[in-house]
Amino acid sequence: MSETRVLRQVERRIPQALLLGYVLVFFVFLLAPIFFVVLVSFSDAAFITFPVTDFSLRWYYRLLEYTPLLASLWFSLKLAAASAILAAILGVPAALALARSTSRVADVVSTFLLAPLSIPMILLGVALLYYLSAMGLGLSFISLLIAHTVVSIPYVVRTVVAVYRSVGRDYEESAAILGASNRQIFTYITLPLIGSGIFSGMLFAILISLDNLSLSLFFGSAQTNTLPVVMLSYLQNQFDPAIAAIGSVQMAIAFVVLLMIERTVGLEYMSSPS
Amino acid sequence: MTSDRAQLVNASLAARVAMPAPASARPGAQFAAGLLPVLPAVAFLLLFFVAPLVQNGAHSIWLPSPQGGRLSAAYYAKLFFDSYYLTVIGQTLLLSVIVTAICAVLGYPVAYFMVRHAGRWTGLIIFLLVAPLLTSIIMRTFGWSVILARNGVLNSTLLGLGFIERPLRLLQGPSSVIIGLVHVLVPFMVISIAAVLKGVDRRLEEAAQLLGAGRLRTFREVTLPLSLDGVATGSIVVFMLANGSFLTMLLLGGGSVVTLPLLIYQQFLLVQNLGFAAAMGNVLLALAVLSLFLQLRLIRRQGVHR
Repeated sequence: MSETRVLRQVERRIPQALLLGYVLVFFVFLLAPIFFVVLVSFSDAAFITFPVTDFSLRWYYRLLEYTPLLASLWFSLKLAAASAILAAILGVPAALALARSTSRVADVVSTFLLAPLSIPMILLGVALLYYLSAMGLGLSFISLLIAHTVVSIPYVVRTVVAVYRSVGRDYEESAAILGASNRQIFTYITLPLIGSGIFSGMLFAILISLDNLSLSLFFGSAQTNTLPVVMLSYLQNQFDPAIAAIGSVQMAIAFVVLLMIERTVGLEYMSSPS
Repeated sequence: MTSDRAQLVNASLAARVAMPAPASARPGAQFAAGLLPVLPAVAFLLLFFVAPLVQNGAHSIWLPSPQGGRLSAAYYAKLFFDSYYLTVIGQTLLLSVIVTAICAVLGYPVAYFMVRHAGRWTGLIIFLLVAPLLTSIIMRTFGWSVILARNGVLNSTLLGLGFIERPLRLLQGPSSVIIGLVHVLVPFMVISIAAVLKGVDRRLEEAAQLLGAGRLRTFREVTLPLSLDGVATGSIVVFMLANGSFLTMLLLGGGSVVTLPLLIYQQFLLVQNLGFAAAMGNVLLALAVLSLFLQLRLIRRQGVHR
């Protein structure tokens, strides 16, 4: 009797153990490329080879010598910050209005503001390049700023709407009942409550902008090269660990930003499908 | 800060004495005022998102000539009747379908584990799923070349263990493109499936087991059908993103896989054929709009369920 019970117990555990094993393999698959890029970035060899036997920081020093990579990282950071700020200026008021509205118009507007996420980036890049060139903007920081802001708005709107909805109306209504003016309610109640949402939305936008190749590609010039564009052209000419080093630097930046998001509102706002 | 708070208290006291009448009485005006803040964002997107796409559409049906040009469907005719371009469209769709199917099969168990068994590890799993999304896509793709290259991780390991005698050619083919795309897109699938699985009523599963269904049968006839919406949502997202990517093909395909976005990139870089690139872009756009439409319908349906 007890033997069959033990057997049944084991039988119950086997699928669970298999599932756990599979999930571990899955995450090895997911993290392996990143792990090996970081590993290679510390290699001392002149080209990519395995196993890595000697470790050094020579490829990080190489970043300091080969200025286009670091210059483009700096340019990308400025662009990302500027587009996140512009997206917040445009997107936050819209998000606040949409979060509290239940009308059909508001539904349509929300869908419209999120639409840039759903169209192929490369199409938007081609279309914007010719459109902005016709306007006389061409290959400029302004063009890039406009292109990146179009894609940043959905992230800001989505995050702020989600956070504002989760807060509920109670605090604002209490303040209104206590006689606070609209401006006072906004400054002392609403803004502190959704501040973390705005902050995270902007951080998402920054991360997306930093990694955006498909848009930036079309606006590349000596003065307007973003990091992904320079990385791509470097990769097409050389296959050495310098690209691993700059990739690791970018990942470190993204990691810090990610931790900041996790600390403020949590990552699930990033991943919600709608 | 304190003086402002004091002001707020004062104001509240004043409000008790004289409650002001509501500012706007007409509901229409209130409604319009309520949505006024969306205008700047909407205007910005109309100007820099919709207008460029409309102009792009116009380019795709306009055949320029020294005399000024004329309307023409020539670019679309070329796309849909030339066997080379038909092959490219077919390859784009086929690749996306294969990648989507693999993502669904690989992703489902992970989503299931995350919702049902992860417990306090859920946060870590979400972090591990999202973290790769935020490392540079170039870096992840480069990572696969490091692993799959002639003298890369996999070949050196296999050589070292004596399984093979000379390096395998793993890069620059359709399989490395598929691996790269699945790696980039599978987190979206897991997240979509998990979102729906979370909402599946566990009492239904318990009921099935009480009625004598085994664990496998419960899964096959209760859990899986109830979570198919998540698989569908995830599939649309992955399909759409796969349709639009070109970096993976460019860096891992070595010319063996030519898809529409890659062709747009090449047209732009080498030929600068604006009209043709515009037409190809519109085919991609049509696919994206179709996917978006399906997605919205699915979301509506899920909304009804809840």
